[in-house]
Amino acid sequence: MSYEQVTVQSNSQTLKPTVTDRLTMGYVYPHAPLEIIMAHGLTPTLVRARPGIAGAFEASLQTFACSYTRNLFSQRANDQMPASSALLFPGNTCDSLLNVGDIWRVRFPDDIIFRLTYPAANQGEAAVHYLADELRSLSQSIEAAFGRPFSEEEFRDAAGLTRQFRSAAQFLYAARVVSPQVLRYSKLAALIHTFLLSPDQKSANEITNASTQVQRALARSRLLDSAKKIQEQLIKRHLTPAALPHGAKSPRIAIAGGMIDPGAIVALFNAAGIPEDALVMDLFSFGFKTVFTPPCEVGRDPFDSVARSILASPLEPTQEGLGVRLAFLKDVVTNLAVDGLIVCEQSFCDPDEFEAPSLEAEASKSGVAVMRLPIDPELSDRERLGVRLQSFLETISPRSGR
Amino acid sequence: MGQEERHTEEKVYRQLRANSLLQEIMLRYMMEGQAASEQGKLAWVTSGFPVEIPVTMGVNVSYPEQYGAIIGSQKVGPEICGFAEELGYSQELCSYARSSIGSVRYPEKSPLDGLPKPQALLACNNICGTVLRWYDAVSQMTGAPVFLFDTPPTEGDQPSHHREYVRQSVLRLIDFLSRTFHTSFSEERLRKVGELSGEAIDLWTRSLKACRNRPSPLNCADRFLAMAPIVALRGTEPAIEFYQALLEEVQERVSQGLGAIRDERIRLLWDDIPPWFTIFRFFNGLAARGVVFPADTYTHAWSGSLAGADLLDSVVSVYSNVYLNKGLEAKVDKMCELIKEYSLDGFIMFSVRSCKRYSLGQLVSKELVMERTGVPGVVIEGDMVDSRLFNDAQIQTRLDALLEMFL
Ligand code: SF4
Ligand code: SF4
Repeated sequence: MSYEQVTVQSNSQTLKPTVTDRLTMGYVYPHAPLEIIMAHGLTPTLVRARPGIAGAFEASLQTFACSYTRNLFSQRANDQMPASSALLFPGNTCDSLLNVGDIWRVRFPDDIIFRLTYPAANQGEAAVHYLADELRSLSQSIEAAFGRPFSEEEFRDAAGLTRQFRSAAQFLYAARVVSPQVLRYSKLAALIHTFLLSPDQKSANEITNASTQVQRALARSRLLDSAKKIQEQLIKRHLTPAALPHGAKSPRIAIAGGMIDPGAIVALFNAAGIPEDALVMDLFSFGFKTVFTPPCEVGRDPFDSVARSILASPLEPTQEGLGVRLAFLKDVVTNLAVDGLIVCEQSFCDPDEFEAPSLEAEASKSGVAVMRLPIDPELSDRERLGVRLQSFLETISPRSGR
Repeated sequence: MGQEERHTEEKVYRQLRANSLLQEIMLRYMMEGQAASEQGKLAWVTSGFPVEIPVTMGVNVSYPEQYGAIIGSQKVGPEICGFAEELGYSQELCSYARSSIGSVRYPEKSPLDGLPKPQALLACNNICGTVLRWYDAVSQMTGAPVFLFDTPPTEGDQPSHHREYVRQSVLRLIDFLSRTFHTSFSEERLRKVGELSGEAIDLWTRSLKACRNRPSPLNCADRFLAMAPIVALRGTEPAIEFYQALLEEVQERVSQGLGAIRDERIRLLWDDIPPWFTIFRFFNGLAARGVVFPADTYTHAWSGSLAGADLLDSVVSVYSNVYLNKGLEAKVDKMCELIKEYSLDGFIMFSVRSCKRYSLGQLVSKELVMERTGVPGVVIEGDMVDSRLFNDAQIQTRLDALLEMFL
């Protein structure tokens, strides 16, 4: 089956193996091994928390499960989760997801659940070997469950596709740093989302076309080189002061927060009546983390290659390395002329809530205004959060003029 | 019967004589920690850390979780956690972590003037993922480097690539300690420390198993206090000294038919960490109603000892396979096993808001355990250190409902 034949699946009512020739694997943690899943003829599709979901978790999860997992669980319990043939849960990334994966198996015994356990320590080659073996065993389990063996050819196609997607998306990220108005943030978020929901040639071409158009626009305003340089530097995670056009708009806002959906950010900005141009970068989120994962190399052991690619993702997936993350944050806010940082936190999310005070302190040290924004996927407090956002922006406006 | 025993006999519970030795040993341990810190040889460790390695290498250790229990017992949890909250740490985070961060910020306002300053922070994620984040925060405040001993959670048998990865962690740890503390590792010394550790664990396990007797010689609070050396002093002589004394007393109680509480009528299992700030009031309140806890999942978590030809491999097995590093299924199995082995009538699950790894899933495990064992259970919610998160009236109502089933 070629990737063109894969169509975006509509929201059907239950998580059941689909009867078409297209099998899908929902994944919760952004660093999923897309290429391995696709090599088995399955389509990996990001399962996201969604607004407007009525709580249906209470009989299974206590209220101190993070808001993200509560939302996912409720989607499933309410039969509101987009259909997929199987789900992939991560292990060793956070306590909530680990436990919720176990609870899910008990509550929804007919669901096909896989678990991929990541290394949490920066343990060099040992971590690569470990993750490669985990991927191998995931691959065997997929084959056993669906009778679809690993195909080298599909793996190569998948690697090509993710490479194409990432390269285009990386450029768009960099382009928005130089000129946020060249592409709306919501458009970028939608392009990324479409690919993550259904990584196929169509969605990859869509983002590539957008990248080509933006390249043309930047070339006309002589900003193309500057954007390309930032793309390269973001890939290497070593930034120098960005060359921004004269009269660049202020304020320039960056967003941080582990599991914040770009769509939720857009909704908040809209609720606050703030133009999307103010948003120049999301850090540590689904978008950024996924997009800046280096491509996996073909022509060598595929499991080793995908393990290396995942482990070289920016700032994650290993949990060790707060110092590195803070250094990168400092690099971004100082070199990309950021005026304000919004640190989003999912409620009861240990990783977000532990890291927020350090992110706040680091950005403040660099002279950047910071606001912490507790958030849940339901955006239940949208109006109030919007007002907070608005007043935050007003406080940083006078800092413009960089 | 001694003077002391006669006095406590009138109470609903019997005080352990070994507690005075426990206090003495723990005081000595604290002082040693202080001295080690001054000499630049102190590491903070998490409760599931392979402590035999630093001990073998001459590095002293302190346990912030145990210090959290002290903060809880002294009923200053809300105040000390509040210091961390002032720094921006959410009240939704683990209260061991919050109280630790708070006491690092204001040692002079904390019990015992805070834990002695560490030169390294050794975290093992076999109990939870929180410990790394917590130690990262302390590292920001103290400048002490963090070492993560990574033990990916296992389901069923540990696959060989997990074992190999964790083994590499052991080697990396030895390297880290050598560089940080200018010390060296010797396998021979590890064997000796492992033997001491194993001996203490063996004595401790025998005391735990003695609770299969009716009446049970120990209650929950007894074991929660008595576990301090098994957590903090594994691999040292004082731990053995204490557990010998404890076992003697336990055996004496068994042979005399004396229980931990005066009138044992209902035998229950306790799941999770206890509410330290009300530990005596809570368990003695239940003891007054004839309820004893001959077993709990918390103190039974320290069981494996280092042995065999390949000691490093033994470190891998013991520390990867701790209770909290396994899935929900293993926790349910353990509870069922304890209920059967200790002839228990029911169980109480303390849903600790601080601790997602231990507590998330209890609503489901409660059903599974009831189904498999046929005994009733209840989930009560609260916290181990932060008494603001403990609603006494609500908890008592739930407990009453459970106890009514036994009348
Ligand atoms: S929101 Fe936080 S706690 Fe919840 S799944 Fe994501 S990282 Fe884990
Ligand atoms: S989260 Fe749980 S296991 Fe981890 S330190 Fe806190 S109480 Fe202990």
